Amino acid sequence: MIRADSEALTPERVRSAVFSLTRLGRRGVDEGEVRAFCDWVSGGLERLLGDNAGLQEEVMRLRNRLISGKDKAGPQPEDAHVQAVYVLSRAQQTADRYVADAQEYSMELAQDAQTRRDEVLREAQVRASMILEEAHTAASHAASMVPAAREPLPAAERQELQAEIAYLRTFSDVCRTHLRAYMESLSRSIEQWEQVERRGAAAAVEARESALPASA
Amino acid sequence: MSQIVKSGDSAVDEQRLKESFARVAEYGDEVPLFFYSHLFLTHPETREMFPVSMAVQRDKLVNALGRIVSDVSNHDTLLPFLRGLGRDHRKFAAVAEHYPAVGASLIATLKHFSGSSWTEDLAHDWTEAYGVIAQVMTDAAAEDETQNPAWWSATVVGHERRTMEVAVLRVAPDVPLRYLPGQSVAVECDARPRVWRFYSMANAPRHDGTIDFHVRVIDGGAVSYALARRVSVGTRLRLGAPVGTLLLNTDSPRNLLLAAGSTGLAPLKAIVEQVAGLPDPPQAHLVFGARTAAGLYDLADLEKMAAQWPWLTVTPAVSGEPGYRGEKGTVADVVGRRVRLADHDVYICGSAAMTTATVNRMQSLGMPQDQIYVEDYLWSES
Repeated sequence: MIRADSEALTPERVRSAVFSLTRLGRRGVDEGEVRAFCDWVSGGLERLLGDNAGLQEEVMRLRNRLISGKDKAGPQPEDAHVQAVYVLSRAQQTADRYVADAQEYSMELAQDAQTRRDEVLREAQVRASMILEEAHTAASHAASMVPAAREPLPAAERQELQAEIAYLRTFSDVCRTHLRAYMESLSRSIEQWEQVERRGAAAAVEARESALPASA
Repeated sequence: MSQIVKSGDSAVDEQRLKESFARVAEYGDEVPLFFYSHLFLTHPETREMFPVSMAVQRDKLVNALGRIVSDVSNHDTLLPFLRGLGRDHRKFAAVAEHYPAVGASLIATLKHFSGSSWTEDLAHDWTEAYGVIAQVMTDAAAEDETQNPAWWSATVVGHERRTMEVAVLRVAPDVPLRYLPGQSVAVECDARPRVWRFYSMANAPRHDGTIDFHVRVIDGGAVSYALARRVSVGTRLRLGAPVGTLLLNTDSPRNLLLAAGSTGLAPLKAIVEQVAGLPDPPQAHLVFGARTAAGLYDLADLEKMAAQWPWLTVTPAVSGEPGYRGEKGTVADVVGRRVRLADHDVYICGSAAMTTATVNRMQSLGMPQDQIYVEDYLWSES
């Protein structure tokens, strides 16, 4: 985990912390447990920060009252102004959290989609090279038959060769169909990926819009 | 300028200022939160100048204030910083009338968090100090106004999606934007109002004034996604003033080694074009790296350039594709393998991880520090 000391400790930071894997042969810790622990710490931190903000408000209110020396019931005009600042501050924090959550969500979606795309591409590459290899073997097999055909061919052998050629034609058709199917499934996966991304972007916009009234 | 320390009654006690700031800064994010809420309540029209999410903005404010306070006695670094800040704020549509409002909210915030330790003297110190800061910033902005617009409006005239992640944009500014190869500008689009991100110009200045940008989609990134996917030919963008220090040292007698990771290619491609215009171009070796061969989004163009210019060599490097037939490994690996470093100046641009790794490799191979050129991102924090 890389961390700059100047970086603020926030619940989001704890939740999204990424730890590098230990080198092979060294003892590590259970990834699931670490993740669960981070979620727990992050939740606690969020609660504490909320409590802290509330307490600070209270301290400021009491301090202002002490400074002004008047312990009248009801808020003073200055108090009212400070209260308004705090209300707006909390609203802004809520908006910030919505935006941060939406961004985090879209980031996760995009990363998932990317991993899946890479897998699909790799698989397609492997299959395509397998098909090519098969075709190559078939072709060299056919080529090895050609010298034999230089001498005049008995009718039976010619028929056999013609059958072989017909078979190879069919086989190459099948290869092409296979390749086309893989390309199509590949482009479908990419479309799916883009849809997922669009949904992520829509979620971000929605979060932003629902956050707007709070910050206006 | 020596106005920060004034003689006579209005002297600012710099030590007192620093201590006061340190006390307030202990309240962390609550301080900028209070400041902006106060500003928006007293001057609601200023809210429009900021993005919906203020989290990044608050960090920027605290960083800038911290830097100003810690450099308060060091005018040689403080003044250029403030002048840059003043010029930079023009693109946010900040005008001289906004400065008193910001000052009032800043003083109110400091007073609020200082509690009982707030005194008349401190109020005086902060008011004086802010007055000088605002003066330096508005002066720099006014001076800049005589030469440059606050921002350059531009139209997208070309948009190519080269890979799943990378798009190449060509934009035409309404009025000419003068810059040096290797520099960047902040870019804003209507899809993400008030959020600016820096992109490097990927070409040396052209006669028709068009500029290319290489945009890589960052997972969860707001602006990069909009520029790569939402923007199309005809979209209007806004560009800030050119900044950046990754510039070609034309006085160096050494050859060039350009190490580009993905879209870090942009400023280095601009530098290659600049070299092509020199009367006696040095030998240049460009190593262009990506994780997969498909990620070498601009290789065709680079190979065309290499075919045209005999002094240019282009080597693609692929780090994450075992079946790749060319140079395998990171940019740092390939550079270390291919080039006699002592004869070269190296210019490096890429992700933070790529830049750090490449700089470290150059150093461990014994390359002197003054032959290594990387972007100094300090300006982007303002």
